[in-house]
Amino acid sequence: MITYPRYLDRSQTPVVRLIGLGNAGVNLADRITMNRALDIETIAINSDQQSLSSSVASTKIPLGPLTTRGLGAGGDPEIGLDAAKESLGDIEAAVGGADIVFLCGGLGGGTASGAAAMIAEAAKNSGALLVAILASPFSFEGRRRGAQAAAALHEIRGIADAVIHFENDRMAELTAPRAGVSETFSACDEILLGCVEAIVRLISAPGPLGVGLPDLLSVLDGGEGSCLFGTAAATGDNRAHEGLEQALASPLLERGRLLDDAASILVHISGPPSLSFSEVGAIMQEISRQASGNAMIHLGVSTSPAPDSPLTVSIIAKCGAASPIPAAQPPARRTAAPKPAPPAPAAAEAAPPAPEPTPPEPPTQSLLQPEPPADQPPAPPRTSPSAPRPPRPPLPEPKHAPQKIKQETLQFEPVARGRFEKIEPTIVEGEDLDVPTFLRLAGKKR
Amino acid sequence: MARDDIHVGLEIGTTKVCAVVAECREDGDIRLLGVGEAPSRGVRKGEIVDFENACNCVREALSDAEEKSDVEIRSVWLGVTGSHIQSFNNRGSVVIPDEGGEITDEEIQEVEYKAKEISLPKENAILHSIIQHYYVDGQEGVLNPVGMLGSRLEANFHIIHGVTNRIQNSIRCVKECHIEVDDVVVNSLASAQVVLGQHQKESGALVIDIGGGVTDYIVYLDGAVRHSGVLAVGGDHITNDISIGLKIPITRAEKLKVDEGSAILGKSLPGEKIVLKNDTGFSGKEVEREMLNMIIHARLEELFSLLRKRLAGEVPEHLLGSGVMLTGGCSTIRGIRDVAEAVFEMPVHLTRAQAVSGPTSAFENPRFSTCIGLAKYGQAVRSEMPEDTFFGGFVKKFTGIFGIKS
Repeated sequence: MITYPRYLDRSQTPVVRLIGLGNAGVNLADRITMNRALDIETIAINSDQQSLSSSVASTKIPLGPLTTRGLGAGGDPEIGLDAAKESLGDIEAAVGGADIVFLCGGLGGGTASGAAAMIAEAAKNSGALLVAILASPFSFEGRRRGAQAAAALHEIRGIADAVIHFENDRMAELTAPRAGVSETFSACDEILLGCVEAIVRLISAPGPLGVGLPDLLSVLDGGEGSCLFGTAAATGDNRAHEGLEQALASPLLERGRLLDDAASILVHISGPPSLSFSEVGAIMQEISRQASGNAMIHLGVSTSPAPDSPLTVSIIAKCGAASPIPAAQPPARRTAAPKPAPPAPAAAEAAPPAPEPTPPEPPTQSLLQPEPPADQPPAPPRTSPSAPRPPRPPLPEPKHAPQKIKQETLQFEPVARGRFEKIEPTIVEGEDLDVPTFLRLAGKKR
Repeated sequence: MARDDIHVGLEIGTTKVCAVVAECREDGDIRLLGVGEAPSRGVRKGEIVDFENACNCVREALSDAEEKSDVEIRSVWLGVTGSHIQSFNNRGSVVIPDEGGEITDEEIQEVEYKAKEISLPKENAILHSIIQHYYVDGQEGVLNPVGMLGSRLEANFHIIHGVTNRIQNSIRCVKECHIEVDDVVVNSLASAQVVLGQHQKESGALVIDIGGGVTDYIVYLDGAVRHSGVLAVGGDHITNDISIGLKIPITRAEKLKVDEGSAILGKSLPGEKIVLKNDTGFSGKEVEREMLNMIIHARLEELFSLLRKRLAGEVPEHLLGSGVMLTGGCSTIRGIRDVAEAVFEMPVHLTRAQAVSGPTSAFENPRFSTCIGLAKYGQAVRSEMPEDTFFGGFVKKFTGIFGIKS
């Protein structure tokens, strides 16, 4: 049977559902239900009746009331799986009709580790796009939990369209060392939440320059590495700079240092109607400075009608995927796609990159004629017999990498000399020692 | 010359101008009578960039010193530094007139003159020529050849030279205050006078004086100066790095460096923050401690690596028996010793002026090493030099070079 996934039909706003699975997942679902004005239906699924009863999610599904008698899976994935089998009907009913399903949970315990794969499959079968947002346990929680989490993660990678995977260890760096336990956990939740928000915004927000799910999928495609993610909102005169700064400050990005490692990066900038072209240009310039020269950058820009909405910058990339040559992950398919020349402001005008779906999308791959999100400029599809819009004029070839680096360095030198700006430089072995050592070291690494 | 035993060292530094009035005894002991100090303005990287301001600072520091020591300052030993100061070793040789004749002072003078016969850039002048070793007919290790018989006298000299005009600027700055300059002395040489004892000079040591604007270094081996130089990187650079890296003003960065900075990595808790209070006591920005330390560490590690690289071809490191001596204001940064030890792979000591006494022992602070050393250098030169000898002429010649006219 050839299916045409519903989420590609952009005639109406997609139905987005978020499944919070297990205790961590339910927490997240609650937060989303309460805090944010996101148009998401939340479904809390847990084997622990207690956590469900206090949840405020729009739908609650007790997992395996007979198997666990509402007492939770007790850290045993087997029980979690049995419980999921028991409640499969409920789950299928809950995800039915959704266009996009986010499956959120903390791996390592019983419920999420055991049931996630089955729920993912149910969602997938219903025709929805499945994005799994998963956190693996702290290393101090023991090797056993770590192993359970790894096994579950592996399983889900086979099913889900995209897996965004965070390590709690890294997220905990977000908080001060003396912060309370609950503060740390909620900081982790906060990141997951930001991630869901960013993706929803990315998919649903209209804008002059769109990135869609295909971009997201291609960024997250392949490999076992964990996700790099940062998002931030800022207002005020200096919002572009601040927003980017804060987004890069995400511990998952290590101040942008890890961007260097990513083969493709998705950047989504949304803002009020006053969002200016030069702001976008400035942000992208900084990001491409941080990224490796070969990185594929997917840029999306959207504007919201509300004049006082903040400028948000979201960065999603995948760690450990960078290859020395731009052969990136799916090389052959990438070649035909125009690549936005990263730093040039012209990139903002350039089409967003390859919209092809990526391998973990078995049912539709061959026939997909992905339609870029409505009201966004077209991205030339790879095979474009029925491309509805004329192809873009040829883009600047993405071969400016070396030049780019040179330019950047020149630009930033005078700033970096600080108080020594106007006096005789100390140049030893061709290096200007007045420029801070750590900056020069960072430059050398690249 | 009644007050010959009182010497004044004046250093026009990047962070401070300081004047040390010291009473120098015959046995080499130094008694500090007073230290005058003024925060420095118009000096960058050890060199004057704003003459007017620098003059005022010198005036301030000198009058402060006069007040504290109750001595009227007439002349000073002036420390100079800056990236323009360079050094090299050169050998001079003379043939003793009559075959197998006696070596006299005349030959000694001549051999030094020969050693200094080198092609310097036009604008440069020799500041110091320091004897390393004499060789008589190829015989090594002759300390004092006067009176020995030989046919050929050779000598190795360490020659330090710098750009005349820049040195003259410092001198003029002092003359503006109607004070004489006894002589100009390279900072590193001065520091070594008080930081190193005789046995350390014999066994070999590297002195690194990290000041605000520049780092002066000097190597002693077998009791003689083997190598010296200036690297125009100092504490100011660390402050500047912090200011840029953490995006805080320079003054705040300086305070942060002194109060919280450390060059040791990995000792802070992950994510540990330092809260910066602003002037109103309101807690403003937070900076990450590890970031701060990383910035300081990176700069110091680079500084030491550069120094080591510079020494690599010149000095056999394994002969530096007394290791590395760190001094100067910047040597008070926490953890600097560990960084230096890691880079130089030999023992590193934090030192300050030795053999200094006096009621003001509080001034035995590494930041005053150079200045106290200047006074001691003055004493050493004067004591070696009975009046009316060629040496006196040598000093006069010096002042002549720099166009000092009262």
